[in-house]
Amino acid sequence: MRARWSAAGSAADANRPAGPGDGDPARDADPAGDAGFSLLAVRRTIDPVLTVRLALAPGDQPLVAAGDQVVAGSALARRLREPMIRGAGRVGRGERAAVAPRSGQRWAPEPGAGIDPDLAGEYLFELDGRWRVIAGEIADPLEAPVDGIVTSVSGGAGISLATTASGVLGSTVLGGPARGRLAIAATPGGELRASAIDVGRAGEILVVGARIDAEALTRARAMGVRGVVVGAMPSKERRDFMASEARQRASRQRLPPFAVLVLDGTLRRPISSPVMAILETLEGREVGIVADPPCLAFEMAVDAPALPVPPTDLVRIRAGALAGAEGRWAGMAGPRRFPGGVWLETGRVELDGGETISVPLGDLERFA
Amino acid sequence: MPRSIGGVKGTPRAFATLDLGAATTATALIGRVAGRWRLLGALAAPASAPADVLLELLAERIRLADPDLAAAAGLARGSTQDIPHLVARSSVPGTVAVLAASARALEPLTVAVARSGWRWRGASGDRLHAGAMTALLLDPTVSVAVVGAGDPPGGDERAGLPELVALAAAATQRRPDLTVVLAGSAGNLRTRFGLPGRDGRLRGLRRGDQESAAGVARPASNDVSAHPRVLLVPRDVEGGVEWAALTAALAGLRRDPAESRQAMTAALGGLAGALDRRVELLEIGLDGGLRASATPGPTAGSSHVRAVQGAGAALVPYELGEARLEAVQAWSTQPFDRHRLRDRLLELRAAPWTGVAGDGARLRLAAARAALSRLAALTPEIGDGPAPDLVVMAGGAFAPAPAAAILLALADAVRRPAAIQVVFDHARLLGPLGTVSDPVERDILVADLAGDLLLPLGSIVMPGGIRPGRRAGRVIVDSPAGTMTMGLDHGALEFTPVPPGEQATVLLESAEPVLLGSYGRRLSVDVAGGVGGLLIDLRDVPLRLPDRREARRELLARWEDSAWPGGTA
Repeated sequence: MRARWSAAGSAADANRPAGPGDGDPARDADPAGDAGFSLLAVRRTIDPVLTVRLALAPGDQPLVAAGDQVVAGSALARRLREPMIRGAGRVGRGERAAVAPRSGQRWAPEPGAGIDPDLAGEYLFELDGRWRVIAGEIADPLEAPVDGIVTSVSGGAGISLATTASGVLGSTVLGGPARGRLAIAATPGGELRASAIDVGRAGEILVVGARIDAEALTRARAMGVRGVVVGAMPSKERRDFMASEARQRASRQRLPPFAVLVLDGTLRRPISSPVMAILETLEGREVGIVADPPCLAFEMAVDAPALPVPPTDLVRIRAGALAGAEGRWAGMAGPRRFPGGVWLETGRVELDGGETISVPLGDLERFA
Repeated sequence: MPRSIGGVKGTPRAFATLDLGAATTATALIGRVAGRWRLLGALAAPASAPADVLLELLAERIRLADPDLAAAAGLARGSTQDIPHLVARSSVPGTVAVLAASARALEPLTVAVARSGWRWRGASGDRLHAGAMTALLLDPTVSVAVVGAGDPPGGDERAGLPELVALAAAATQRRPDLTVVLAGSAGNLRTRFGLPGRDGRLRGLRRGDQESAAGVARPASNDVSAHPRVLLVPRDVEGGVEWAALTAALAGLRRDPAESRQAMTAALGGLAGALDRRVELLEIGLDGGLRASATPGPTAGSSHVRAVQGAGAALVPYELGEARLEAVQAWSTQPFDRHRLRDRLLELRAAPWTGVAGDGARLRLAAARAALSRLAALTPEIGDGPAPDLVVMAGGAFAPAPAAAILLALADAVRRPAAIQVVFDHARLLGPLGTVSDPVERDILVADLAGDLLLPLGSIVMPGGIRPGRRAGRVIVDSPAGTMTMGLDHGALEFTPVPPGEQATVLLESAEPVLLGSYGRRLSVDVAGGVGGLLIDLRDVPLRLPDRREARRELLARWEDSAWPGGTA
């Protein structure tokens, strides 16, 4: 299913997708002059200007410094695969530092000290005048998922990038960061089976619909797919995927980075039409998946068509039997009694089929 | 943020309260009616809802329902922005990294930290290597590191303790914003690792701080102006609770009178004084829970209050481990497998305002029971004390549930042989009222509003010592609606309608002594009615449930059906 509404807005504003909440969403969006509409939970679909944080662990070696300009795909750091703590005695003999070291500073063995020169690491802590360092033999590159300027480098903690990219916001990212060409592989409410993934998808980030299982994810990675965007992913599939990811990380022959962006949560529901419309617009473009904030990062050229804007009164049902259904806000319906004697504030929603129903306000979300 | 509504005794005829919770924004309008403050109305919406729109919608409803009252309170159209506001705000608890040399030593430290309102992540030197511990200390979500050891350190602590303090000292080189708390004998190593904070030693907590109306402890003297902050706390045992000074020091780091739970504790003292009754507060929210007890003092403002906050007592804790999942499953009447249950709980955490009707309502109360149980386990000193006369239930976990279901959830999770009245802070006023900084003004407000802010849910009569397998006697409930008699049968559970404002007398006649405040064969108590009525609970104290999952679920469902009018399907 493709988005039901068409693109709008000007190309000049492409980097800042317009929406009902472009200013203060809670105040701007009031399509029917109905204060009740602004009481609905707001779902932000886009972060117009991303600041990305990439996590580092103690021992990882940053290759950039604050102020450096980086392009997507360039190496930002070397991540240790199997960090080890080394004793201070051995470090002391091969110590390069001319001044007293501090925790977090880089350590490299002195040539001729009898230590493998590839074994670089960082000072961890000092005990009884002897430093312990954390080091490792094998390291993997951490690549920039988008262009940006390094704003801070915190050894053992993370690297921050100020970017000009925007991001389609999700709820969680597993694995990554990763970068690839965006491709729509399933309908918003569909599911991508493992058998449908082949090597022709190598290098792509796939939009796979409402859900995907761990088996399909494992196959996708094996086929060279760089990432997956999915509506929801149950916790069991997440656990299985992360276990598989850990095994892959420990292997000698590593595959390229792979990431899963979960847009909603754990219970199956279709990708919302505003998000799907944006993903369709971005199809074929180079995008990245980053974990902090969890999003699909993309650059918008000045002459690119503007991102589609959902109708101001579009609402989506977030829970219950109709979870995932969308419709138009039709006004407050007041407090209603629900089974079990529960009284809740409700709103009227005109579903796509034309039926109008009353839904608890808490079960509705609007888009910004 | 205003800490006072100003001229409460003067000009304003109305003021607004805002409780900005993690899941919900709750608003209320209070007006001066017939010489006293009265609750005019209350409204709540998901946390993203703008409070001013919510307030104006509430005012509009009041204007429609009673134009004269609205006019008398000065609630003209668009006026809600101009009236005084009392604002209480939930804050997301920060995370404490707790380091100990051994798993054995870690356990009591984590219990102490869990009672301070902080989230925590623990690591022991015998289970985790130095790199992983450093990663924990450098995690940006961690703002405090606690390194603790017994005093003197145990045999399993001596070798590893210096390395832990060295790790914390090294972490402060990278993160000057990190606060380090050296507990017990770890404090003796401070100078060895060049940690600052010479004047940072806690010179004992002022008792008044710990048990003040604010309910949080703060160090009497700590030099916290320079980073990194290093606090030293001794290992102590107070009232049977280990590491009490550590709990108090960490609670002191979170001190904020406008924070909802701290403010609720402040208001509770005034409530106990106004009602002249022992009052207990049980609150379960999205990011934590609160248990507080208040005993009225001989004079106004002298109530004795003790409070414990626990991030682990959240409706769906941040760390949803297997044990916590198991605890919710133990209370659930729905046939979810563990994976499905975890998914549902994660959804509840992500969007707590959704799925309130239908089967989501029962799931929410199963999670609330588990949270209440965790809160009760965190607060033995309150639970083991004298039973309160009145229990105030509060928090978003209970907000949409029917009164009888809340009564049953409380009776299930917090068991003690007593007769107690249960009320609900339905308009979420306790937090905002507690932000009034002047205790006298605050107590006047609370006393004025006590009748309105507490929705009577009903009463629970829970005698102890009833033995299974024999008919021990009978229970006679005498209320304005008539007289009801039931057998004093072990395991029985009965709701009896006693409307709000009415009283009933419950007479227990038993062949053997039963416990209800005191032991006796013939005991009589007067109880207050409520929306949920009177719950006679003759089940075990503590509650015993079948081990088999199906049998347990069936039994829980039978009990729940009596509390949910018409079911939840």
